[in-house]
Amino acid sequence: MSSTGRSLRWAAACGAVLMAALACGGSSNTGGTVTFKGTKNIGLSVALTGQSALYGHAISQSMKLAADEINAKGGINGYKVNADILDDATQVANAVNNIKSLILQDNVVAMLGNVTSAQCQATSPIAKQNKVIFIAATCNSYQLTTEPDLVNPYYISVVPNTFMEGTAAGELAAKTGAKKIFIVSPKYLFGISETNAFVAELKKVAPSATIINDSSTWYVPFPTNPRWDSTINAIQAAKPDLVYSNIFAADQINFITQALQVDPNFFQKYPMTTLASVDELQSLGSKYPLGMHLYQRAPFFALNNPAMNGFVTKYHDRYGEFPSDWAVMDYDAMTMYAKAANAAGSFDADKVRSQIVGHSFDSLRGYKFTIRDGDQQANVGETVGTTGDSGGKYPFPILVNSTNLKGDDLLMPTAIMQQLQAGQCEKTPGTPNTTDFSLCPAWKTS
Amino acid sequence: MDPGKFLLFATGGLADAAYLFIVAAGLSLVFGALRVINMAHGSLYMIAAMVSVVVANRLGAGIGFLPALLGAVLVAAAIGAVIETTVLKRVYGHEHLVQLLATYAIALIIGGAARLIFGSNYRTTSTPIQGSLTILGYSYSLYALVMIAAAILIGLGMYGLLFRTRLGRNIRAAVSDPELLNASGVNVTLLYTAVFTVGAGLAGLGGAIVAPSQAVDPTIGDSVLVLAFAISVIGGLGSIIGSAVGALMVGEVISFGLINPTTNSFALAFVFIIMTLVLTVRPWGLFGRPEA
Repeated sequence: MSSTGRSLRWAAACGAVLMAALACGGSSNTGGTVTFKGTKNIGLSVALTGQSALYGHAISQSMKLAADEINAKGGINGYKVNADILDDATQVANAVNNIKSLILQDNVVAMLGNVTSAQCQATSPIAKQNKVIFIAATCNSYQLTTEPDLVNPYYISVVPNTFMEGTAAGELAAKTGAKKIFIVSPKYLFGISETNAFVAELKKVAPSATIINDSSTWYVPFPTNPRWDSTINAIQAAKPDLVYSNIFAADQINFITQALQVDPNFFQKYPMTTLASVDELQSLGSKYPLGMHLYQRAPFFALNNPAMNGFVTKYHDRYGEFPSDWAVMDYDAMTMYAKAANAAGSFDADKVRSQIVGHSFDSLRGYKFTIRDGDQQANVGETVGTTGDSGGKYPFPILVNSTNLKGDDLLMPTAIMQQLQAGQCEKTPGTPNTTDFSLCPAWKTS
Repeated sequence: MDPGKFLLFATGGLADAAYLFIVAAGLSLVFGALRVINMAHGSLYMIAAMVSVVVANRLGAGIGFLPALLGAVLVAAAIGAVIETTVLKRVYGHEHLVQLLATYAIALIIGGAARLIFGSNYRTTSTPIQGSLTILGYSYSLYALVMIAAAILIGLGMYGLLFRTRLGRNIRAAVSDPELLNASGVNVTLLYTAVFTVGAGLAGLGGAIVAPSQAVDPTIGDSVLVLAFAISVIGGLGSIIGSAVGALMVGEVISFGLINPTTNSFALAFVFIIMTLVLTVRPWGLFGRPEA
């Protein structure tokens, strides 16, 4: 055969291989028995290491479970969903780099929010700039949807925000009848936001209660020192009726562990109202004190309904542990997005958004939630109660006599939301990061 | 502040200082004798903490603590010996940047390996000594008091090693005059391995001691490394007494600083302000010696 003939045959063979490869890569791929048009990425930059790794671990597991279930039902708009997860080690800079990578390189159609509000504060503007739906199921500072320079029409929140949680915590603290309250909170957007909401609500419902530590000592530097001797000793010295805290993850575990080492009856002497999740309960197990007044976002054991029970079984079977509050909320986030995108028949952010805002969605929490227009905040509730023995059902305490507070009762009034977004509630006018709802005219008259 | 409160916060600072001293002493020793900035020091602390928690939980709370502690220290020391013989030997005499990059790479490798072996979740274990003591109306953790006592004993042990043994004499010679040591016929290669192994062992001891009182995960070495460096710089690289004084200063600054309304916001930053001042006025540290 001539050299020309050999070259032609070789070129034809290469061309055939190339065509076959293109045909395989570009068209349908199968996930089991379902045939998909292709794959779409939903991004998540989450703390798989670092201070909040406890939460990131649960969130990533839940996201993968949700993605698999969505795919088993045919995906979204005929596309297979891929949970595209990157570790940000609870660092803001990493979260920023990750979201850029996820959006610009991996072409994600949506993002689930980061763990910390500080991270969401940095990543939400990037999502907005690139018109990517951003669903917050963990970070929850109300400023993220109402501070004038952070307002983002693509930011959807399915987690009770700090206004809602602080309000719930204030009511919980007031019910204890405590008069002298000591505050411990991490010093960053979330801690300050939620503590302010707590204090504002406490003043309303329990005006005779006083905060006994100076406001400059309410906050501990975040990320925190792993040893809590100073704060524990300050509580001993101040002898409060109640300690209010919103420290979480490793901080809460370390604080409780070290406080119990100082005094096994520490939390009987100094009762505590604190934010918590199933993660902290699971981590400490039987070491988690009984009698703690907790407020939780979505504890599975207090939200008994068929959807939740089925999810708990699936999650436990797959991962060998019980789903935390973050796992529940991020699952809700994924299923909400799937429903909305399917309804839109598109992945276009504006079209999907139009199927989210003002619409209602089923939730593992046993009720439908609705996404409010204006701040895209879901009217999701908060569970409050006191830790008690599970009677052997779980290897950790649960909330006994728990109450599921309704989201509609906790939601920030629309008037306040609008005044915040209009910049009418800034401590220093023209400086959005001094936004405080208690400065709003509508708050003062409420 | 009444005497009871003062003692409460001072003891809290001592508890912080205890484990920081042990970790910083190892770091200071390695830099003083080997002139190596060991960025993997925090990783050795972390590995030991993880091993001690796993072993203690496997053997049972309380009774498992001592075997867990010994095992953790040995693991950290062994890893240290491997690091020194395989990597550091090749970078002695190179500029500090090369050593820093090499040890940082090791830190990343150890961190990744820890995540693969132990996972990223937090682990906790019970303290071997339960209970508390009440003094002047305030409660003190018995385990924290034991940590303080252990740190004092370890400090005395280190002092004995450095000033009463031949190995210690050679280590001090390496710190003060490495050229003379080379010329004196000492097996410098073996000495350097011994020093690094002891330093790694101290990092491991710090991790194992602190593990029963906090959540342990593959990232706990990061924050302790920063504080250990600050303490070593303040106290003087190569000085055990300097590490003790530096740790004491850091522990008390944090303890008293965080509860004071005026200093709360910058209590941790104050540690680094002290470090900067020392570097400016006395770069070799409070108890270090200027390099010839």
